Amino acid sequence: MASADKTINTDVPEKDVFAIHFLQSLSNLRTQNLFNSPDTTNYRVRKIKKAAYVSMARAAGGTSRLWSRALLRRATKGNNKIVRFPRKKRKVTWKISSKRRRSDQRAPVVEEAAERLRNLVPGGGGMETSKLMEETAHYIKCLSMQVKVMQCLVDGLSPK
Amino acid sequence: MDVSEEKRNRDSSNYDDRVDNPTVDWQVSGSNPVSAPIDSYSQENLISACPSSCSPSQMMDSFGQTLWYDPTSVQQAVGYGGGFSVQSNGGNASSSSSSFRGNIDRSLEMGWNLPNLLPPKGNNGLFLPNVSSFLPPSMAQFPADSGFIERAARFSLFSGGNFSDMVNQPLGNPESIGLFLQGGGTTMQGHCQSNELNVVGGEPHNDESTVVKEPNVRSSEQSKLNVPGSGNVSEDTQSSGGNGQKGGETSSKGFDTRKRKRNGQNSEAAQSHRSQQSEEEPDNNGDKKRNKEQSPNSPGNKTNSGKQQGKQSSDPPKDGYIHVRARRGQATNSHSLAERVRREKISERMKFLQDLVPGCNKVTGKAVMLDEIINYVQSLQRQVEFLSMKLATVNPQMDFNLEGLLAKDALQLRAGSSSTTPFPPNMSMAYPPLPHGFMQQTLSSIGRTISSPLSPINGGFKRQETTGWEGDLQNVIHINYGAGDVTPDPQAAATASLPAANMKVEP
Repeated sequence: MASADKTINTDVPEKDVFAIHFLQSLSNLRTQNLFNSPDTTNYRVRKIKKAAYVSMARAAGGTSRLWSRALLRRATKGNNKIVRFPRKKRKVTWKISSKRRRSDQRAPVVEEAAERLRNLVPGGGGMETSKLMEETAHYIKCLSMQVKVMQCLVDGLSPK
Repeated sequence: MDVSEEKRNRDSSNYDDRVDNPTVDWQVSGSNPVSAPIDSYSQENLISACPSSCSPSQMMDSFGQTLWYDPTSVQQAVGYGGGFSVQSNGGNASSSSSSFRGNIDRSLEMGWNLPNLLPPKGNNGLFLPNVSSFLPPSMAQFPADSGFIERAARFSLFSGGNFSDMVNQPLGNPESIGLFLQGGGTTMQGHCQSNELNVVGGEPHNDESTVVKEPNVRSSEQSKLNVPGSGNVSEDTQSSGGNGQKGGETSSKGFDTRKRKRNGQNSEAAQSHRSQQSEEEPDNNGDKKRNKEQSPNSPGNKTNSGKQQGKQSSDPPKDGYIHVRARRGQATNSHSLAERVRREKISERMKFLQDLVPGCNKVTGKAVMLDEIINYVQSLQRQVEFLSMKLATVNPQMDFNLEGLLAKDALQLRAGSSSTTPFPPNMSMAYPPLPHGFMQQTLSSIGRTISSPLSPINGGFKRQETTGWEGDLQNVIHINYGAGDVTPDPQAAATASLPAANMKVEP
């Protein structure tokens, strides 16, 4: 484990990819007849938020990242005609339960934080702590990118 | 070697015809030419080798008197012992003792049985009755049961592999042995304090005198006694030829593999038994394949050189495992090693995260940093939510996608043709019924604003993309505005023409 950056690959696409995806999702949102009434603001907000997350998941690598897969799966719970989930070979699934049971023995400080992280990061429930950290790093990068894109959008759209 | 063959035949027959007449064999053995070289490896050698470096214990004396100084039986007895020493390393009593030690296990079983079978066989029978009579006092501490056998196995286990180090070195080099003893002896002694067959090194060392000598003596005694009775073991030892330690190994191997598995975790023996036990540690394969090398306080060079030979036997497998080596002064339990690897992984990733999260450089300590990371993730998620809210309120129509892309050309188009044609109803599907001017304003503003933020993001890209999209959309819009009758669904057309619009997100 000489060079950490080589082993941990957290490459995130550029902002424009995020922007495209986000705008596409928003345009798809527009196809729905939901924005006529004013009291759908909350609903709209939620829709936008969901669109933001999903587009982020797409932009950040689709199903090749654990958290994005979990996000997309969560988003398309009922009707999954959209996203294809390739079968990923899970080599160490057996470790999950065993490590969970022993989690208290393993640096309880780290494990407590890992539990909280798992609640935050999508798909963190089935990951080992080290893998969880990797996914968290990538997730943080993508989140920051998405935030920047949205900020630009809002700034652009806000009335001057 | 004829001696080996003879011995093998004899001992195998001895083993098989345990009930019949082993004494005959012994007589045969007594007469065979093996006894000739006995003189060179007579009791002096054995006696000198073993007790010389160890203070003679009472057992040794009594044993020596009964066994070695009995002319008739001693000859045969020593013949076996001497023969063994002959075959093993020349004059290397360590090997002989190792082979003896290896024979202890089997011979013990035999030894207990044989006295019943050979009661009064004169001098030949003196062998075993000596065993029976003499052994109990010496072996009073030895429970003649699986416990002792287990310990014996462990003893031979521990020493078996390491004897390669010792055997190859002359007897007069107690340093390596001593070092080895030191290295391996700590846990050994912790384990086997109560055992007679204590020490890893068959050779007594000055420092480990008390602990080592007695078991060594005893082992040599018993092995000498029980040599004829153990067919398999002797065969093993003889087949190993000049490598006496191997005999001990094979005997122990054949004796109780179960014990070896249990002891597999013990790192002291691990280096010698790595090759043997590599398949017995499946749970550790995930992290490490080669077991530990403990480098205790003993001088590193000599121990390392001594242990090198044991290490060469086990090659690291080339199947993607991460080889871990225990650091100096660290526990070498396989579980702790796995834990260490895991901890290192986690800390490595945490360092990576530290670079990501702003303001985490000053923070030290895992707990605080993890809290920081969690806070950061939460803040980012809250930011996304807030911005989405803002987006929803700022632009309730949410009609910024196409318009943004349409930018200049579309505006021009609309400006050109919008006055004449009524606003297409399809177009206004998502649009609230706004005055036309307002729409125009919105469009222009959106176009301007969308393009401007995009350009700092990636100037070149926006140009290209928008022109591409604009090119496609232009036609659509042209159709839309140019011919008011034809109103293809702009959404569908637009989305279809969008280069990357291959997915529809179902909210």
